[in-house]
Amino acid sequence: MEHPILFISVILEALGLPVPHGPVGHTFLEQICAPYMTYTWLVMAFLFFVSKLTVSNLEMVPGKGQNFWEIVIGGLDNFFAENMGRKLTDQFFPMLTTFGLYIAVANLIGLIPGFMSPTSSLNTTLALTIIVWVSHHFIGIREHGLNYYKHFMGPMWWLVPLMLPIEIISNLARLISLSIRLFGNIMAKETLLGILFMLAGAFFAPLPIMLLGVLVSLVQAMVFVLLAVVYFGQAQEHAH
Amino acid sequence: MSDFKKEMMFLLGHYGHIGITFVASIFLGMGAGILLDQKVFDGRTAPWFTFIGLAFGIAAGFKSLFDILWKSSKELEKDKTDQED
Repeated sequence: MEHPILFISVILEALGLPVPHGPVGHTFLEQICAPYMTYTWLVMAFLFFVSKLTVSNLEMVPGKGQNFWEIVIGGLDNFFAENMGRKLTDQFFPMLTTFGLYIAVANLIGLIPGFMSPTSSLNTTLALTIIVWVSHHFIGIREHGLNYYKHFMGPMWWLVPLMLPIEIISNLARLISLSIRLFGNIMAKETLLGILFMLAGAFFAPLPIMLLGVLVSLVQAMVFVLLAVVYFGQAQEHAH
Repeated sequence: MSDFKKEMMFLLGHYGHIGITFVASIFLGMGAGILLDQKVFDGRTAPWFTFIGLAFGIAAGFKSLFDILWKSSKELEKDKTDQED
């Protein structure tokens, strides 16, 4: 398959920086210049500057930009509060909203030729998932103290030898499934687009997949945030 | 948020996720069993921990499936009582 042309990598190579051609680089500089890293920074810069330009000076009568952000932030805030309570929402709203916006933009950016989705690398999605996983245990321990172990003990005491391994396995499976689902969906989208561009790009073959790609990108971002919210809510609830 | 949209989000989120959770549970359980068999006991207990791990993995997969089913039926009941009030 032909290698896609990623414009940041082209610019970096022209500047004389080492861009790795495999999935990961060997030296520190190569790892920093890997496409998923550089495009992560691009998405970060995009989110930063767009929000800076649109909502840097808040007004009583909102303009176009402020209206958009008010709908997005207000909708997310309502959704979080419905699913995990007001207290947790106030504490974790910045983190979860950043995840949602970052994943959505990172997924969508891959549809433009010359860009790639940072989320089509397992490194990015696993990093996001580990943060969510660690913080849901943090919430549980903070809420219940040492009694948090009861979450893993099942409903009745004589079922403990059976339920303990099952609960531990299904908890660790969250780590794998959350990261691999996002990575798999986006990587599939990217690969499919690449192959269709190579085979019949002149006949607009990738167009239907691009349409589906928009849907998949938004749905996957939404699902990631939804599941993070559900896990946070479950960790906060009392054990059954 | 409208009821339809909320239900749609719930369905997409949970049922879109359960497939890979199921598979991940099974592989995790079996992986742990193989690890116990081959590394901890050096192959002396050869197939047994693998099978036990596989059974626990499958059970864990079903457990996460039932969790979602119970959760969705509970939410439906809650919505019904909300409407009756």
